[in-house]
Amino acid sequence: MPRAKSKKEEPVEAESDVAMEEAPTSHQPEDEMVVDQDEDEDAGDVEDDKSDEEEEEEAQRVRLLPGSTPTAASFEFLNEGHTLGNALRYITMRNPDVEFCAYAIPHPSEAKMNVRIQTFEGTTAIQALEKGLRDLQELCNVVSEKFIGARDSFGASSP
Amino acid sequence: MPHKPPTTEELERRKIVGIREETITDVTSTDFPGHYPGEDHSWDIERFRQGFRVEFHHNETFEASFSLIGIDASIANAFRRIMIADIPTLAIETVFINNNTSVIQDEVLSHRLGLIPFKGGHDGLHKFIKWYRKPDDQSQLDSSYFDNNTVSLRLEVKCEHNDKAAAGETDPTKLYKHAHVYARDIEFVPVGRQLQYFSGEDAIAPVNPDILIAKLRPGQEISLSMHMHKGVGSDHAKFSPVATASYRLMPVITIERPILGRDAEKFARCFPKGVIGLEKVTRKEAAKKGSGYEGHEGELKAVVRDPMRDTVSRECLRHDEFKGKVKLGRRRDHFIYLVESTGQLQSDEIFLEAVAHLKKRAQFLEKQVMNMVR
Amino acid sequence: MSREQYQIPTGSAGAGGAGSGAMGAGSFNAAAARDYEGGGLMHYMCGDCAVRVPLEKGAPIRCQKCGARVLYKERTKRMVQFEAR
Repeated sequence: MPRAKSKKEEPVEAESDVAMEEAPTSHQPEDEMVVDQDEDEDAGDVEDDKSDEEEEEEAQRVRLLPGSTPTAASFEFLNEGHTLGNALRYITMRNPDVEFCAYAIPHPSEAKMNVRIQTFEGTTAIQALEKGLRDLQELCNVVSEKFIGARDSFGASSP
Repeated sequence: MPHKPPTTEELERRKIVGIREETITDVTSTDFPGHYPGEDHSWDIERFRQGFRVEFHHNETFEASFSLIGIDASIANAFRRIMIADIPTLAIETVFINNNTSVIQDEVLSHRLGLIPFKGGHDGLHKFIKWYRKPDDQSQLDSSYFDNNTVSLRLEVKCEHNDKAAAGETDPTKLYKHAHVYARDIEFVPVGRQLQYFSGEDAIAPVNPDILIAKLRPGQEISLSMHMHKGVGSDHAKFSPVATASYRLMPVITIERPILGRDAEKFARCFPKGVIGLEKVTRKEAAKKGSGYEGHEGELKAVVRDPMRDTVSRECLRHDEFKGKVKLGRRRDHFIYLVESTGQLQSDEIFLEAVAHLKKRAQFLEKQVMNMVR
Repeated sequence: MSREQYQIPTGSAGAGGAGSGAMGAGSFNAAAARDYEGGGLMHYMCGDCAVRVPLEKGAPIRCQKCGARVLYKERTKRMVQFEAR
């Protein structure tokens, strides 16, 4: 995308110091701020930008650990912790086809979270994991729906 | 033998975490398939919708308290953790010090500046400002600052003698000009489209203008500029949008046998104000055989008025006169949240963002799992 | 932009090379360098009254305002970068 460097007037502090042009560029941080003038990237489509940005890191973060069978599998999640681990464990345990579900963080200084799922015949551990993640999304929908409802009926204290 | 469905009392009882004098009972939730034979506890979104409730207690801009009722601790805790560590805000990240002759050291000053909470236009903060990514190549650093990922600030203060000060004046703030440096002295330097998003009311400014940053004496000077970036609380606490986001379980106080007269007054004093009320025993109650009120008409009895205000101090369990008369507990699925915002986002908004964040994470991972299978 | 990468600007890069060449340490301060050319003036801070004291080469070390004999060098105007952490 096109970039236009916006040189502002020399800041006040410049006059008492080495003339700004002489100083290494690394010492002119705020003057070097680049103004992004891409027209079509305006306020309208920022929402899309946001999602684009997050999908940038498409690196695979879930892995099936060795030794897994269809109905008994361990998964390794990178960069996940107790926040998602425990929530996912709970929702997966509520699945009647799941015989066992647990999560662990094998070592606190490694950003890894393991989930073990064992299912009864008729479904697979991967399916159970997918269902868990889907249920979690549905749950979130209900929570925000009810939260907004309760807030709005509570009173207009915040717009 | 056919299974009998649980009674309402039984269902209520299952929800209570018991609090005894020195132990806590029934901590873990039991609503899993297979836990109670013959009962269906499988996850069902419609059943959840039916049982789930949100109640607001207060909702100021920067402090909200509400209850989520009918949800498991693992989910409630995920929301809390996300509010603290995963909701992004804008904070000072780098400080370029041109001059600092004050007594506060450069690195301490920088650290302090980083912790100052800032506010700014909602649209600008949410939609316009994006993540700043440090380039891998150090030489590209200068061209990595854009108007939509970096906010520039400046702080220029110089302390001087105040010639107009009265003779014999001892107050440094009157004796000198700029003896105190406050957060309000920080100046926002808009660049490019930032003017559009952060002007007038929406300008980037400290939430609390009266935060004291440094104290100066004549001849001392602070001259620096700063860059703000977006970040999350898991990286550094300065990025956390909340001062505290916490929950507690709803206390349950059950008076099982009457507590009367002076005992009732003493009982009320075992709790914070407003938790226990005192009422006169009515004629009807006194007439009822086996109620324990016989012959006590007109006396004061203790009644539970507002258990939410209780701190569950267990003080009442220490006194012999209440032995066997009262039971304490907490409702396992009733979470009373308190969300205190630092001022960049509104409290209720922070919670909603936390919910949206969890959903997005689950969505992303679902895709990843499908990817993994392929 | 680490501190190690920073190079002290040499006097020759400055505007008026001739005078500042005598200053050995290079123009550590552009304003001081300018003053120096105009009569070898350096500024110090008075230890007592905090006033900015201009001193010529060989002049007695003494504050012109209060007479104190303790003078401090001014802090460098070099920019230093910190992480606000």
